[in-house]
Amino acid sequence: MSQSVEPSRDISAGERWAGGDNPKGGAWWQLGGHWPAVVAFIGLAVVWEAGVRLSGTPAYILPTPSAILARTWTDLPYLLSQAADTLGEALVGLLLASLLGLTAALAMAHSRSVERAFFPLMVALKVTPMVVIAPLLILWLGFGPAPKVIVAALLSFFPILSNALIGLRSVNPRALEFMRSLNASRWEILRELRLPQSLPYLLSAYKTSATLSIIGAVVAEWVGADRGLGHVIILANSNLDMTTLLAAVLILAILGIALYVIVEAIERRALFWHESTLTSDHEQ
Amino acid sequence: MRSSAPTLTRERSEPLIAVRGVDKVFGGPTGPIEALTDVTISVERGAFVSLIGPSGCGKSTLLRLIGGLLDPSRGSIAIDGSPPRVAQVGKQLGFVFQDSGLLPWLNVVENIELSLRVNRGANRPRPRGTDDLLELVGLQQFRHAYPHQLSGGMQQRVGIARALVHYPSILLMDEPFGALDEITREHMRFELLRIWNRTNKTIVFVTHSIAESIVLSDIVIALAGQPGQVRAIVQIDLPRPRDAAIERSPRFLDYAAELRSALATTSSRMLRQ
Repeated sequence: MSQSVEPSRDISAGERWAGGDNPKGGAWWQLGGHWPAVVAFIGLAVVWEAGVRLSGTPAYILPTPSAILARTWTDLPYLLSQAADTLGEALVGLLLASLLGLTAALAMAHSRSVERAFFPLMVALKVTPMVVIAPLLILWLGFGPAPKVIVAALLSFFPILSNALIGLRSVNPRALEFMRSLNASRWEILRELRLPQSLPYLLSAYKTSATLSIIGAVVAEWVGADRGLGHVIILANSNLDMTTLLAAVLILAILGIALYVIVEAIERRALFWHESTLTSDHEQ
Repeated sequence: MRSSAPTLTRERSEPLIAVRGVDKVFGGPTGPIEALTDVTISVERGAFVSLIGPSGCGKSTLLRLIGGLLDPSRGSIAIDGSPPRVAQVGKQLGFVFQDSGLLPWLNVVENIELSLRVNRGANRPRPRGTDDLLELVGLQQFRHAYPHQLSGGMQQRVGIARALVHYPSILLMDEPFGALDEITREHMRFELLRIWNRTNKTIVFVTHSIAESIVLSDIVIALAGQPGQVRAIVQIDLPRPRDAAIERSPRFLDYAAELRSALATTSSRMLRQ
């Protein structure tokens, strides 16, 4: 009866994600489909450079990209050690936001009344500008890393909570019925069905939250800190040192992009089964 | 040997599945919705019984009541003399759904063995392994494939294998071939009969295809109306094993006409109401 099996789609495709072979061809550091972005980026830098030079704009108003790159290079050890502080605060904040967000999402997915009681509070927290909260936290907790971690956590918390909540609820009703027919416990349904099903939503939240956590840490550093890229930016600003300021911004941008790329790489690996990955795989 | 009476009673022995005077009412946002009214049917051990009817006649609801996924509002359901929940907890029931309900992040073997990871305490020792099941449904070469790499027909084979993991005595199938193309669908009918033949299960099969119900079944139960009720119970006395040629036999056409008229009088009666 084996000849009766209908032809399937390319089965070897199943090994692609497992082997880590990029289906688009080439490895990640090769430009591949990104060259238009690179051209646009370089083009913008050239226009900027030429504009500043031709108009004779002083460096304390707007430095040239080449000067910013040169400053980044010469001050790299200093900038990186400050970036490490900021990144550490951001990541600890993100971890804290994950613990709180996932716990809250589980509690809310478990009970509608918990959701009704606490979700409005979470929304209120989300819409409160962190620039306003940060000085209070510095006042209460001092100049150490604690207030930075908390602001980073507060900013990155909400996307994790709301996406995890939607994800935990978005289960295939047939799959849920099947689990019930097996007499599965709530915990087993959570472990086998709801958690894996919420992964696409969660990873999408992390793309936002990872970058938000860095913004949170920097905002808190602006208000009061003796280290970190936010501190570097404030210091450079008061010295009218636009070149160092923009060098710090460049490092921040690179940090944000790096976190985003990491989450995206995890997504491609973990969500090989999800429509989002499958459709991008099939259009070639 | 045909019976179109609303009940089919056998004096000899207690039927495996006995549904007696069952009503099902759902509470909806716009008030209660009656899905089934006064349904009485019985299914003998080892029989292949189809529930057929138009959309919304409550046939899937009846299947879920038999499977213990829903509770009747009135009346009683017994499987082997006990409530369906007892059979469900005892892993006597296997479910197959229209959209297979496979978990997309698990491969074929993992999907089949999911049933073993869940509710472990109640699992009985298995006489045979997963390989036997894969062989039964003809998917040995695809054990490590993921659902998205399989065709619809193959996904349903996995669904059937998954339902058979605990070697249940009853298979409950809710339009399992409803989403398949016509050619695959006809093929899967005979695959199912082959599997039924090899495993000696009792099968309750929900469909809206008259031809499918006749080809497969010992007994076809026609449900219609809103709320749904039993309109005809037709015993199919066609020789087994059956093949595709059976659809051209005169008796097949007689059964089809009988079922069609049972479902048609229903709709004209509904229009008069």
